Amino acid sequence: MNAHPTRIVAIDDDVDALECIGYVLRNAGYETHCFATATEALAAMAQTPPDVVITDLMMETLDSGFGFARRLREDERFAKVPIIVVTAAASQRGFDFTPRDEHDLAAMKVDAVFAKPVAPDELLATIRRLLGAARPDTTSGGPAR
Amino acid sequence: MTQENVRVLVVDDELGMREGCRKILEPEGYIVESAEDGQAGLELFQRRGDFAIALVDLNMPRMGGMKLIGRLRELDEDVVIFVITAYAAIETAVEATRRGAYGYIPKPFTPDELLLPVRNGIERRALAIEAKRLREERERRLLEVAFERTKASTIISCMTDGVLVINRDKQIVLRNNGMMRILPSCATLSLSSPLSALECPELEKLIEEVLSTDTGPVIASREVALDRCVYMVNASPVLEPNGDVMGAVAVLRDITALKKLDVAKSMFISMVAHEVKNPLAAVENYLTVILKGYVDGEPEKQRDMLERSMVRLNTLRTMVSELINLTAIETGNFTVKRSVLGLTQVVTEALDACRERAEGKKQELSFSCANGAEDVQILADRDSLFIVCTNLIDNAIKYTPEGGAIRVQVAQNGAFLKLSVEDNGIGMSDEESEHVFEEFFRVKNRQTVKEPGTGLGLSLVKRLVEMHDGAISLRSTPGAGSTFTLSLPIAARMGM
Repeated sequence: MNAHPTRIVAIDDDVDALECIGYVLRNAGYETHCFATATEALAAMAQTPPDVVITDLMMETLDSGFGFARRLREDERFAKVPIIVVTAAASQRGFDFTPRDEHDLAAMKVDAVFAKPVAPDELLATIRRLLGAARPDTTSGGPAR
Repeated sequence: MTQENVRVLVVDDELGMREGCRKILEPEGYIVESAEDGQAGLELFQRRGDFAIALVDLNMPRMGGMKLIGRLRELDEDVVIFVITAYAAIETAVEATRRGAYGYIPKPFTPDELLLPVRNGIERRALAIEAKRLREERERRLLEVAFERTKASTIISCMTDGVLVINRDKQIVLRNNGMMRILPSCATLSLSSPLSALECPELEKLIEEVLSTDTGPVIASREVALDRCVYMVNASPVLEPNGDVMGAVAVLRDITALKKLDVAKSMFISMVAHEVKNPLAAVENYLTVILKGYVDGEPEKQRDMLERSMVRLNTLRTMVSELINLTAIETGNFTVKRSVLGLTQVVTEALDACRERAEGKKQELSFSCANGAEDVQILADRDSLFIVCTNLIDNAIKYTPEGGAIRVQVAQNGAFLKLSVEDNGIGMSDEESEHVFEEFFRVKNRQTVKEPGTGLGLSLVKRLVEMHDGAISLRSTPGAGSTFTLSLPIAARMGM
């Protein structure tokens, strides 16, 4: 049993995208920590490990979202934390990161990929699904609505 | 048939002979001139030169006929010379012919005995001249052909494109200097080496397509990458007059620079798409959250989200107009209406346009003009200059924290008018300064993340300044502030 409420770390270099995701997550009852860079997020996560990480893809460098995901997977503290990627690059020419199947997702070392703008309902449903799979006994911090 | 304008020279020491010839020839249309000895004859010939026929006596004072014949022949190889003499003898005739005489007319002669050989001589002369003309023309043509050949091979060898010619047996029959530069292996191979010795499978495949007889003559074009360069290879068949393929010629053109440009353009389009999509996604995000009812009961938050959406849309609109301007500059469609104007006026207008934003951040926005600079005029497009000034001042406001100071100065510096915009804001690193004029470059950190920006403003500023033959530079220290300095050439004084 986890004592703390479900904690989510959201990373996006677009201040408004971050504001929106943050608002929806807090509104849903999650303890939400927002960061503009992966570096800042990593520093904070070392203190308070999150239950879910939501990250933008196009941060600082093109693939840093995936680089960040790989780093989390290689760190035993975060290896099991579900990672959701939200990106504006999903459908861009030459930068198609949209996974075709589960195998692709696994290769990316992330659990879900969303194209921006992400629909709040879908994002929340995915978080619930991932949390349910990872921690079937979770009851705390569920959505308020 | 009478002869028009045919000149005949009669050289004889006997007046009776000279007059006799004149009487026979002139009624026939010949123009007759005469001399009484060899020396006079030679002088006359040298003076006039255009005699077709010379009738020469052998025994004359001063210069004999034999010598005269030799001299005339030297002067004109076409003149037809007849010997007229009473001392007819085989030896003299042979000697005269050896020296260049065409015929022999023994004295005394009837009119026909003179006219007939003269007519023959004229015909012979005409034929000789025509033959000479034809011979010269042939020689000239041969020279031309030789010259054309050299010209063609010089052109092929000097052209930058690589040229490779292959025969039906896939042997190399020609490779120019360009080709040897592109494929160094080409230079070491001797002619008639097999194509495969080049060890360039792409080129080989292309040429094989052209040589292939099943498909008939085809022209094959493909991009081929060789040693970090990209070439457009055009291969076409070399056909015999009956249409049979006797070989193939491949021309390789270096398109590396074009490919790089192409990639840069694609990257740019991709960046534009991304930069457009981000604000759109943000606005859509806000609107979805509001419309789905997530913010119901929080009118303050709703208003905040709508205001943020507005900011993003404004930025997007600015970005689109900046993109239009940048594209217009690039394609040469950006209209600048240059007029002689004072920079200080435009700067004052720009300051007025930006003042509200500076006041909103409680910043001190000051303007000073070094003595005399307010009267100095430049030749510039007022609208472009306004875009430049507002961009620089707006940037300073954006990247300077609340309560900071922004100083705008105008000063004369030799033949240039200098505008500097100095702030004590967040500044940037040397690496960031290096990229600041590039399209879509934005310094991304905790302090800049909330500032709306297109990433195009400074690239547009730089282009506009360059269009005015000016220059822009930047000095910046992280944490201490940035100074953008702009130099524009001062307009020549009126009447100068």
